[in-house]
Amino acid sequence: MTALVTGAANGLGRAIVERLLDAGHDVTAIDREENGLNALAVEYKGALTVCLCDLADPEAIARTVSSLREPAFDLVILNAGISATGRFEEIPPDAYKKLIDINLQAPILLTTALSRDNRVNKGGKLVYISSLSHAVGYPGAAVYAATKDALAIYARSIRKPFKKNGVGVLTVFPGPIRTDHAELHAPPGAKASKRMAPDVLAGLVLKAISSRKTELYPGGAAAMGRFFGRLMPGLATSAMKRAIYDKLDGNTY
Amino acid sequence: MEGPCNILITGATDGIGLLLAKSYAARGHRVLATGRRALDDHRTYFGVERIVYLQADQQEPVRAAKLIAETAQKLGWENIDVAILNAAIGWAGSPDQEPARSVQNQIAINLTAPVCIAAEIAPWLFAQKGKLVLIGSTAVKGQGSFATYAATKAGLDGLARSLRAEWRGRAAVQIIHPGPTQTDMHKKAGMSVGLARRLFMRPKRVVAAIERAVRSRSKRVVVTRSYAFFASKSKEGRL
Repeated sequence: MTALVTGAANGLGRAIVERLLDAGHDVTAIDREENGLNALAVEYKGALTVCLCDLADPEAIARTVSSLREPAFDLVILNAGISATGRFEEIPPDAYKKLIDINLQAPILLTTALSRDNRVNKGGKLVYISSLSHAVGYPGAAVYAATKDALAIYARSIRKPFKKNGVGVLTVFPGPIRTDHAELHAPPGAKASKRMAPDVLAGLVLKAISSRKTELYPGGAAAMGRFFGRLMPGLATSAMKRAIYDKLDGNTY
Repeated sequence: MEGPCNILITGATDGIGLLLAKSYAARGHRVLATGRRALDDHRTYFGVERIVYLQADQQEPVRAAKLIAETAQKLGWENIDVAILNAAIGWAGSPDQEPARSVQNQIAINLTAPVCIAAEIAPWLFAQKGKLVLIGSTAVKGQGSFATYAATKAGLDGLARSLRAEWRGRAAVQIIHPGPTQTDMHKKAGMSVGLARRLFMRPKRVVAAIERAVRSRSKRVVVTRSYAFFASKSKEGRL
């Protein structure tokens, strides 16, 4: 199998890449971080192709897609994402533009660029990493939440049209993950031990990929969040506000 | 609170935005209307006094937001009572054929710009507990032939949900999702709707419905045909 993974240098992306490589698949890893990519490349020779790309830049995305060595992929995992936490009105507009361009625009541009040239194989799958915030809201990261809602609805919109081409779509709604990135954005005093380890999540994602699932709320906490968010959306967002927004001690973007 | 309100309306050169701007101005409110186009003579264009027109192209969202804030400052506005962020474009077709340029423009105009504008005008909204009104679409649940458009509207829906919680007690946040309306939206999006257009709501009705929704305390309004029908019969308030 050939796979393309974005945001591959760290966190969930890296965990997925490692699992795919260990299972003997060919992987193309995209990230903007050269050091992280090089570390992966040194560890896994041969089956791994690394590709440096700033996903905030549409032209860089177009260049990257046209320079990819693989003619087509069986699996495309659009995982790269950043966040911006803090009071909505205190985060500068430039940071919001970058956040939206990376979290929403990049996965859509990659989807259209690959599918226009039939570079996703029949029987293949597109995977979008949204967030549990789609179910519960996220005061203190309102625009991050907006990008993840938008991505979830994009994935839902293309499901039927892509099915005609024999391409499946899976959307993942993870809760908090134990990564450096999450550590940076978590409120003070939040326990890292309560977050899901990236490798455990990667395992659940790959299991869902080989099933017929179209949506994955991985783990007990995400399942509960989804249930609570559907049943009492207002209360769920208020609870998120108390847990996150009211404890913010600054803005991180 | 009595007297005229300060109202910001984006995307006010056509369609629903234009009708909203005219309607509020005709009832004595001060309107700051924005659009992409340069207008030679905006007084003739709108046909109403009390509308100030600002050319602010949301394809450059950060710049458009700064221009709007600067203009509110220049006008001497101490507060904004209602900001209706309405500007939007669409692209219709099979999602695997969607051009990169269309994806970028829809995201910039429909989502990034409202985010940046809301952040820039927050001090004016907080000044007298104003109201931020985001105009979404019933495509918010997802639509195969409008994939990126639907995504941007879902982004606004999600923004409203989290921002409402953040701004509680400081400013109201409302999202309104109008259904298909007989404006040029579909034509501009490259879609020929044919006879189905007759099933779309009349713009005047939708505008009355949006005005009713703005007067109400509802957090989220879906403008269906029946909502629009009853709105056109409802009494007008200050707004």
